[in-house]
Amino acid sequence: MNKSLATKKLELVCPAGTPASLRAAVDAGADTVYLGFRDETNARNFPGLNFSRKELADGVAYAHDHNAKVLVAINTFPKAGNPESWHDAVRDAEAVDADAVILADIGLLAYTAEHHPELRRHLSVQASASNTEAIRFYAREFDVKRVVLPRVLTVEEIAALNADVPVETEVFVFGGLCVMAEGRCSLSSYVTGQSPNMNGVCSPASHVHYEEIDGQLVSKLGDFTINSFGEDEAAGYPTLCKGRFSVEGSVSYLFEDPTSLNAITMLDALMKAGVTALKIEGRQRGRAYVTQVVSAFRKAVDAASRGEALPDLDMSLLTEGGQETTGAYQKTWR
Amino acid sequence: MATRLSPLNVAAFLSRPLSVLPLAPLQPLLAAALMVMRRQHPAVFERLDELGDPLFVIDPIDLPFIFAMRPAGARPSILACREVNTDIATAIIHGPLPMLIDLLEGRLDGDALFFSRELTVGGDTEAVLVLRNAVDSDEIDLFEDFLAILGLLAGPLRFAAEFKNAVTTDWNAAR
Repeated sequence: MNKSLATKKLELVCPAGTPASLRAAVDAGADTVYLGFRDETNARNFPGLNFSRKELADGVAYAHDHNAKVLVAINTFPKAGNPESWHDAVRDAEAVDADAVILADIGLLAYTAEHHPELRRHLSVQASASNTEAIRFYAREFDVKRVVLPRVLTVEEIAALNADVPVETEVFVFGGLCVMAEGRCSLSSYVTGQSPNMNGVCSPASHVHYEEIDGQLVSKLGDFTINSFGEDEAAGYPTLCKGRFSVEGSVSYLFEDPTSLNAITMLDALMKAGVTALKIEGRQRGRAYVTQVVSAFRKAVDAASRGEALPDLDMSLLTEGGQETTGAYQKTWR
Repeated sequence: MATRLSPLNVAAFLSRPLSVLPLAPLQPLLAAALMVMRRQHPAVFERLDELGDPLFVIDPIDLPFIFAMRPAGARPSILACREVNTDIATAIIHGPLPMLIDLLEGRLDGDALFFSRELTVGGDTEAVLVLRNAVDSDEIDLFEDFLAILGLLAGPLRFAAEFKNAVTTDWNAAR
């Protein structure tokens, strides 16, 4: 039987890219921490980031000692004919008593359900399950207990889903905003040959280059110039989806401005929509980010659970491009 | 949190005189600091191993010198220099010294500093990312590392620092 993660109020699920970040998240009030191994089995396979097997074991022990849970993201798609690394990751997550694994690939879900039935399974946002039929399929076939919803749904759509699916849902509330159909974006792969889905990296740093040209900060990804920031202009990540391009003589952001999701003002609505857990993005960010964002959301979630007004919490200095948005929760797309 | 004593703070304090004085007296302090940091935070340096033997140029823009650092490889080193041939550097990091210390000790987020343009980087972006993630993977405290160099003198100095912090805190609270 799977372990239950049910909590009375919204569960705060926080990122950790390093052991120090895990401790920072737990100390700041995380209910749950999610992380990944130091290889391409997870979608934040960034250089110098993530956990060795021993670091994971130590991290789980630290979290459990402080009544926090640990979820292990194994959410990239195994290579054809070479799934061993992904199978090893599932086995090792269970061996150190992780509370659940976050999976995206159907084959890996089937493998885990068959060989590690006691290990609780969550469906990663990388699976892009955004309708009742898809979610029911994962619950029925692989006994998935929780689905991380893609960042393309409105609050009303989330409420309708929750009324109609037999599993918990988890939604993003802060951090980097993927504007594409998650798990299906090929922009990074188009430019660099590497993608979040297969290699765990979007716009890998090995292909990124920054130059100062006449007071402008110019960011390049491979052979493409992604952006050119003025002297007093806040910068953003060098991803194609946040690029500023010249099209027919007009320069603009084609897909999305450099901005971060911040749904801290919507916790009450998300709670009423039947959401179980709130996810903070940012395993690639520093522990200072983890401490500040988790602390702020801890206060906000506690206030929301008591029906109190939201405390004054400014996180604008941590956002990409110095801008924030409520994203699809309140759609104002161009 | 108040900035505490460390070799880097000493360097900042001495920045004016150091603009005309030789940097030689600083070198053994820096070498000792690096050695102690390797001893206190082995996991940080283990993460740097994937880079081979990179040369990082750290440019505190408020100091009259720069640091040339080889943190990985068989012979790790850090030197204070007036200038360095940046063509041979793996990556260059520019920013005010207090900000760089806060970044090193995990009080500031590197991405946020990059977004706000307070931190600028050049050269191999991947190497910078590895360095950032490595130093962020453990709780580095330059003051405690500095005390570790001092051996028996550490106790009195820690007491003096705590006394100074308590007095400063009380003074600020009373104002």
